[in-house]
Amino acid sequence: MNPFIEIITQPDNIAIVIMIFMVSFFMVWAFQQAFQNDRLIASGLPVEGENDGFVDTFKPLVRIELIIALVVMVGLTIWSIAVDAPLEEIANPTITPNPAKAPWYFLGLQELLVYFDPWLAGVVLPSLIVVGLLAIPYIDINPKGNGYYTFSERKYAIIIFSFGFFVLWLLLIVIGVFFRGPGWLWYWPWQEWDHARVVYEPTKDLTSIIGIDSRSIPGIIIGGIVVLSYLVGGMVAPYLYWKKNNPELLKQLGMVRYITITFLFVTMMAIPIKMILRLVFLVKYVWIIPWFGGINF
Amino acid sequence: MANENKNNSSYRVYLFVFFSVLLLALSAWVVWDDEFGLRPWKKYQQEYKSLKHDKLEKDYKRAVVEFQRAGGHRKLADLEAKLKKAEDVFNSKETQEKYARVNKQLTDIHEQVVQNQKELRDLRGQFLESEYYFTKTQKQEYKAKMDGLQRKIDVNLLRGTELQKKEEPLKLSLSEFTSAKAAILAEIENMKNGLEEKKERIANNDKVPVDIKQIHIKDVDRADRCQSCHIGIDGKSQVSLKQPFTRHPASFVYLDHHDPSKFGCTFCHRGQGRATTSAEKAHGKVKHWDEPMLDGDMTQTSCLNCHGDIKGLRGAETIMKSTELIKKYGCYSCHKIPGYETVGDVGPVLTEVGTKVNYSWAVSWLLDPKKYFSTARMPKFFFTQDQAESIADYLFSMSGTTRHDADYTKATPNDKLVEQGKALWAQARCNLCHTTGGRGGNHIKVYAPDLSKVGSKVNKEWMFRWIKNPNAYFPGTKMPRFRFTDEEIRGLVEYIVKEYQDDEAEMKYVQPVEIKAASIKKGKELIQQYGCYGCHKLQGMEEMVQVAPSLKQQGVTFLRSNEMREKIGTELSSIGSKPVDMLDFGKLKKSIPNDRLSYIKQKLRDPRSYRLGLRMPDFRLAESEVNELASVLYGFTDANVPTRFLVPSRQELDRMAGVPSYKFTGDFAKVIADVKCTNCHAIRGIGADYAPDLSVAGSKLQESWIRSFLANPDVIRPLLQQMPKLGLSQGKPVAKVTMPRFNLGKQNVEDTNRSDVDVVINFFQQELVTSDIPKEVPKITTVDMTEQISKGKQLYDEKGCRACHQVGMDGGALGPNLSNVGNRLNSGFIFKHLENARKFKPDIVEPDYGFSERERIYLTNFLMTLKLTAK
Amino acid sequence: MKNLTDITDKVKKNLIWKSIFRRDYRNTVRDRAMAVFGNVFLHLHPVQVRESAVKLRFTWGMGGITFFAFIILVITGVVLMFYYHPSVDQAYTDIKDLEFQVPYGVILRNLHRWGAHFMVIVVMIHMFRVFMTGSYKAPRQFNWGIGVFLLVLTFLLSFTGYLTPWDQLGFWAITVGTNMGAATPLLGYQGPFSELLHITPYNDVRFALLGGAQVAGNALLRSYIWHCVAIPLVATILMLVHFWRVRKDGGISKPQK
Repeated sequence: MNPFIEIITQPDNIAIVIMIFMVSFFMVWAFQQAFQNDRLIASGLPVEGENDGFVDTFKPLVRIELIIALVVMVGLTIWSIAVDAPLEEIANPTITPNPAKAPWYFLGLQELLVYFDPWLAGVVLPSLIVVGLLAIPYIDINPKGNGYYTFSERKYAIIIFSFGFFVLWLLLIVIGVFFRGPGWLWYWPWQEWDHARVVYEPTKDLTSIIGIDSRSIPGIIIGGIVVLSYLVGGMVAPYLYWKKNNPELLKQLGMVRYITITFLFVTMMAIPIKMILRLVFLVKYVWIIPWFGGINF
Repeated sequence: MANENKNNSSYRVYLFVFFSVLLLALSAWVVWDDEFGLRPWKKYQQEYKSLKHDKLEKDYKRAVVEFQRAGGHRKLADLEAKLKKAEDVFNSKETQEKYARVNKQLTDIHEQVVQNQKELRDLRGQFLESEYYFTKTQKQEYKAKMDGLQRKIDVNLLRGTELQKKEEPLKLSLSEFTSAKAAILAEIENMKNGLEEKKERIANNDKVPVDIKQIHIKDVDRADRCQSCHIGIDGKSQVSLKQPFTRHPASFVYLDHHDPSKFGCTFCHRGQGRATTSAEKAHGKVKHWDEPMLDGDMTQTSCLNCHGDIKGLRGAETIMKSTELIKKYGCYSCHKIPGYETVGDVGPVLTEVGTKVNYSWAVSWLLDPKKYFSTARMPKFFFTQDQAESIADYLFSMSGTTRHDADYTKATPNDKLVEQGKALWAQARCNLCHTTGGRGGNHIKVYAPDLSKVGSKVNKEWMFRWIKNPNAYFPGTKMPRFRFTDEEIRGLVEYIVKEYQDDEAEMKYVQPVEIKAASIKKGKELIQQYGCYGCHKLQGMEEMVQVAPSLKQQGVTFLRSNEMREKIGTELSSIGSKPVDMLDFGKLKKSIPNDRLSYIKQKLRDPRSYRLGLRMPDFRLAESEVNELASVLYGFTDANVPTRFLVPSRQELDRMAGVPSYKFTGDFAKVIADVKCTNCHAIRGIGADYAPDLSVAGSKLQESWIRSFLANPDVIRPLLQQMPKLGLSQGKPVAKVTMPRFNLGKQNVEDTNRSDVDVVINFFQQELVTSDIPKEVPKITTVDMTEQISKGKQLYDEKGCRACHQVGMDGGALGPNLSNVGNRLNSGFIFKHLENARKFKPDIVEPDYGFSERERIYLTNFLMTLKLTAK
Repeated sequence: MKNLTDITDKVKKNLIWKSIFRRDYRNTVRDRAMAVFGNVFLHLHPVQVRESAVKLRFTWGMGGITFFAFIILVITGVVLMFYYHPSVDQAYTDIKDLEFQVPYGVILRNLHRWGAHFMVIVVMIHMFRVFMTGSYKAPRQFNWGIGVFLLVLTFLLSFTGYLTPWDQLGFWAITVGTNMGAATPLLGYQGPFSELLHITPYNDVRFALLGGAQVAGNALLRSYIWHCVAIPLVATILMLVHFWRVRKDGGISKPQK
């Protein structure tokens, strides 16, 4: 069978296919409504629903709830009739399947293992995702766009969130499910999985590229400077920019909020940066701290 | 405020209705699917039931027709007329009155009996209560009460017996009234019975419920639901030849010994026993199920799961034959295989091979053994010329320093010697084991080498030493030591070397050439890499073997291949249940089916095909051998079998019981080490099944006959005996087989002054006897001996013995020739043999005539008169 | 037609009917309101809701669908529990029997599995919708936080359920997943700083998750209890808070300018 069809018709992967369709559909719908509202705002008209009143719960809301429940039930029943839940061989600790994949919704994190050590990819980054999500209402002080779809009124918030949600979360899941084969190697959908395939990538640490051993003291110092200057630079630069162009905003934000926002943002952007470094420049680590059981960035 | 849009709401109602109907339809589909779609066995069981119904109905109809043809219904009508008459008599007023009177009396007495029993129950209850209080309080009043009650009980019992006595005659007289009627009724019942039963079976069949039939093996929690579809598998008769309704083939062998309700199906057939939803799933031919179903002869591989010894096991013939291949090719030499730990080396000792063979021959043999003779068992290792030479150099360096060939083509042998040798060759029956020019080699299981070209292979001096005493060069060889004189051996060697030359053989080193040290080193490395020491004993391979620390302490530094802990190849003890994911299909992943059996077969067919760098040599097996060997390997599993299923081999049983397994001792052991009787004969469970079992030969055979037979063996068994028996027993080679002449009696056994024949006779008479067989036939003194003999002869003629046995020129050839039986067998043996021939030979054809003891004595006495006078 | 009203009258005018429904429904404002707060399930809603709440293009119904999926999972899950033993010896064959022998076992398991995947997808889209309409903004900041925890719990529910069939798929997914726990800084034996606390494979976070150093019987039991008891309980409580706060924060958000 065509390897692509083989992969997407695996029972568990059908869920991901459904997810791709659903997410794309709702993404388009959300932005379409947002742009529509933007046009209304631009021409000074009230946004969709601004002048809405109240309706009875019984029956308009109850009816719509029932219909949705029915539709969901119908959909799930069709899904369940059409596709059988997978059951593989009985668990056997001596046979490691290749690749051994986590449940699909964690495959983004597993994909990050290529670029980061497990303590970062598996523990620190997911924790930061949760913390970041929790922080959103408190760090987003833009009073506009409350209760309606809009893009123009909260461009940055939407761009950053969409980047995190669609690219760093969903896209990495899709990559993990469909593009990773034995040995966690990259396979295009039309390529057959080959268990014997070996790909040697001569990865190096950042300082090794300029000829300094990354585990030596100078290497550690240089690596440290690079990482810390990215962090500090990334957090200070906006301050300097806004101080000059929009001091009002800084005042509104306050120091705590400003630090939280920039830290989370800089951390988030570190992920694609490190991915590019790893994929394009074959950089394994930027900064190695060989002590305390090894803390590598 | 509440603005309900009417249009909007009505289209929502339609949506609601639409999806409700859809959900309802889906639910209906789910119900249908669960009731029928996922339960295909329901359809099968219904179909089976209707097939069985048809069959039973046909049976019934046939029985009815037969009943009528035999005039059944007329007899029935007569009986019914009689019954009518008897009923009339019974119903007449007079009889009825008498009947009522007696009945009344009986009822009265019965009432009294009931009353009496009630009283007894009452008394016993009181008695038990008093007893309880007495035991608790030990007060005398209770004791007194108990005694009183006991008296009353005794009286009651007495009355009961009296009443019963009265009841009996009344019952009897009552039954007299109806006895005539009852007798006729019984007769009618009897006539109808066969038919009724058949009718009932139809009704019963229709009542059989349609449900999942499951066998649950509790101790391993295995549930087999195969019979849900294979509903007729252990039926009494074949209902249909259509699958899945057939009966189990040869069920008298398999199911009779493995009650399906206790063994289930999947222990032997594998597959997915729990599955019921489709044939593919149940047969395990789906993804994520590693155990596809086995059928046909392949199923016999499962015998190995439980049976420690499948030799002679009925129904395991195919797998038995296949296991022989493991010994033939010596798989156990490189792979750990349970049960083969003590089997000897498959290849000859090579420690002094430099004194034995020509160097040129050794190189060409290493390059391709099958080029030398096509039945060679040694595999091809794909050595290059250089590699083969290096290995040969190492082998020759163990006993010398040069590459050398001995070329005898130009020598002119002594014709007289050659003639003598030729005669000896025939007389000693060398061709029984060895093939020459495509002839001989009937005893295939000793794997004697083909000698057609041996003259260009081995050295004359070596051959002389070899024939003189094979054990000296290769302890444990199967080659017997014939008691030839040196002169005879010399003749034999000259004959062989002259007769069996290879015209195409190349002799490069007739002028010896010094072996180079570097080449030896390279050869040693190759030997280590490819594990030649697995099959051959070599020198200098000591460091190859990991010796366990405990053995090191005992001073053991060198373990031979068959004792090794670690073997060069993969362990095969559970290859038949190895998860498919653990098998490395390498570059053939896409080109062959990814299942275990295909993997094993491909490995046997082309051992190095999966990837580069594999070491297993190519045995160049025939496709049939590949299949056979694969079926054996498939049976080596670590299946979770309940211990109560296990049938240990006799050796295992002995070991468990602490009984030392049988061993030859004393002087006879020396003889047997020389002559290798067990190459062909089995003695007390040791040895092969090529020639007759000698376990009770001492009781069976007469001493004088043994002596003359050993001196000049001749055919006893007729030709037919050696033909393969169609059916269930092992095939035997088609040929007139004669025992080789070992020239016993010419020499004394080592370190003793006893002749080897005496030792053999002594052993037979001391060890190979059984108390089951009397020495002599019992005597009958009342009848004159000549009369006994003539009565015996009469029996011999009456029972048609001559149909199978030959006496003189007269008789058949199925059984042994009896012309000289009086000289050969002990009378006690014949006497016992006539009682139960199967006791001595389970697969014997001789029928059981059920002779009386007297008849057996007559017959024995007659047979003992059959003697040939010595020439 | 007269007969029909007779019948409905007979059905309605008796003590049993009246004890259940209390009063007739006549589509008046009062009756519509009574229908809502006279019913424990509908009582979750206010009597009247903002119009945006009934607009599918605004809410996409995602929150409700998530809740509905949860209910389906609870129902199918409870039935599945009747047929399942969380032990290494039995778990796998129990699932096989579900497929081959239990009435409606196939559809039951499929509904549960696909319902779980569906819920994970839907809950993510729900979060996306709430973000896009800015509905986390004042006064709904706290409820967004509850939602984030519910999202995490949904992942964990699915994750713990993965192991229960005790097949290769679940076993290795859980092995890979929990191995990350071993890398937790300070508390995982492979994580940085773990030496400071003398962390070994036998006292780290992973050990606590699995009840052992490897995925085995204890891990199966733990994941079963997390899956069937502990997490659903916590999730239910958080859901109650979530729904309560939706109402108390003014229902479904509407444009505020």
